[in-house]
Amino acid sequence: MSFFRQNRKLLLVLLGLVAFGVLRAPWENRLREQLVKQRLLLPPPGHTALQQMSQSALMGTLGGLRSLVATYLSLDAFGDFGEKNWDELQRKYRIICNLEPRDETHWVSVVWHIGINATAHVQYYSEEMPKYERERRFQQYCSEAIKLAEDGIKQNPKSAPIRLQLAEVYREKLKDPCNTARVYKDMLGLEGTPGYITRFYGYFLADCPGKEKEAYAYLMRLFQMGEKHHLPTLFVKIKELEEKLNVPFPRRIKTDEPERPDKPKKPSNVLPGGIVVP
Amino acid sequence: MSQPSASLNRKAPLLSLRTVWTIARGTLTQLIRMRTFYFLLAFAGLVVAIGNFNIPETPAKELSMIKKVSFGTMDLFAWLFAIVSTALLIPRDLEDRTLYTILSKPVRRVEYLLGKLFGVLIVVGISLTVMYLLCGFMISFRESVYIAEELAAMEKDGRYSNKEIRDQIALISKHGMRPELGIAVIASFLKAAVIAVVTIFLSTFASSSLFTIIISILIFLIGHAHNMASSFWLHQSDGSMFVQQLVKVVKILIPDFQLFSFSEGIVLGEVVPYALVGQMFLLTAGYIIVFLLLSLLVFADKEF
Repeated sequence: MSFFRQNRKLLLVLLGLVAFGVLRAPWENRLREQLVKQRLLLPPPGHTALQQMSQSALMGTLGGLRSLVATYLSLDAFGDFGEKNWDELQRKYRIICNLEPRDETHWVSVVWHIGINATAHVQYYSEEMPKYERERRFQQYCSEAIKLAEDGIKQNPKSAPIRLQLAEVYREKLKDPCNTARVYKDMLGLEGTPGYITRFYGYFLADCPGKEKEAYAYLMRLFQMGEKHHLPTLFVKIKELEEKLNVPFPRRIKTDEPERPDKPKKPSNVLPGGIVVP
Repeated sequence: MSQPSASLNRKAPLLSLRTVWTIARGTLTQLIRMRTFYFLLAFAGLVVAIGNFNIPETPAKELSMIKKVSFGTMDLFAWLFAIVSTALLIPRDLEDRTLYTILSKPVRRVEYLLGKLFGVLIVVGISLTVMYLLCGFMISFRESVYIAEELAAMEKDGRYSNKEIRDQIALISKHGMRPELGIAVIASFLKAAVIAVVTIFLSTFASSSLFTIIISILIFLIGHAHNMASSFWLHQSDGSMFVQQLVKVVKILIPDFQLFSFSEGIVLGEVVPYALVGQMFLLTAGYIIVFLLLSLLVFADKEF
């Protein structure tokens, strides 16, 4: 009894803390659910991400500096980009994407790095490597980029930029018109989809074996929608399909292909938006 | 003759807001004299540096990076400042013997604690506002530069329709300065308020400022990590009963600071329902009331 009398205050404080803790816990759980649902609070990062982090990054993440750690790692990953250290870059971006899975810019960056830069590096700048190894790595980077993009789309189902980057891998690297068209089709109607995707979907569908009829119907719909879609590529693609599908001459489009406007030539290392690739 | 006795017999109010305000003003002056606002220079330097990073990235990503670094640093400064300044105040009043002068006057101990807390919160509020204005200026400036550059590039290219140009500008603006970012600052303020009141509670029985600072930071880190770490530990320990019980005890005793990190989503461009912000205000008020009462319980009979 004397212990309780002597430590009455300490016990009262403890009791107060416990009572408040028990009262607030269900409220806080509900609040957490609502905040996660509204995408204001991030769900905990994956276990593998936490295991792969350095001690300082882990401390920072657990200490509430999650976005700062992610930003630091993405700046650090630029060092690996400069040194063409693709595996390390990918490892860092795996952590970054686990820390901030809802920031689509991270997914876009890693797909760009692995799907475009790493593949270009093994294609054109790795002459010391045997051809077989180069081709194998090229395929490996492409599949990794596709897997990363798909993971990103799972986290951000309405993201047009991740799909745009994925389509670029299919289009520019794998020369796969069917999958390019499939990704462009997914983009139609999503917020932030560039207007040209409406036409690009038809153009790549036209090149997909077995999809010619579908592509012809789609491109003709675009053609009939008005002059804003009457662009040189549309005419070329429709004419190609008319030939392939043996469309009767009276039903073929009669207008000649419009002249292509003179386009100023850009240096090959400048991407849209003026991004210079070192 | 009856007048003075009537005034003597009149009961003093339980809580005088005027006294609280006087102590809060005194705390504000005390913190200003400690040159606490100098850290704003470091913040300004950081914002200027991050705003001038030229990395080969898209404007949207660069703006997003500036925002994340600025708001992350703001959050860090706010909670660290709340801990350090609160932990220093009561021991310093003891050392300077100001506390004896204050408590020998008709000042209730609750008024003293409230005054100290409000003083710290005013300084945190001013600092957050200045930091918000600084980074708001930098983000708006970079946003306008990027928009002008993109407009010029797209118009020069000549292949883009007005809608495509508008979409591109909208994408940059989405990552630029938006009024919702003000709520991200409020989130950091609420987090700082909770850790400040926890620090006041600790400093009522702590033996030194250093002890209070270390324990407060530890509590903050545990409070921030317990949700994230518990799923990790449970996974590592194959859902051990001991770990489960330990996690429950920690969750009950230590505030969940991660809840107050909803600024992360706002910075990434998510929409904020005001009802949720209202609930966060209520939760903060709950923490302030309970921890002030607990502090008072310890501080009320403390002999100096």
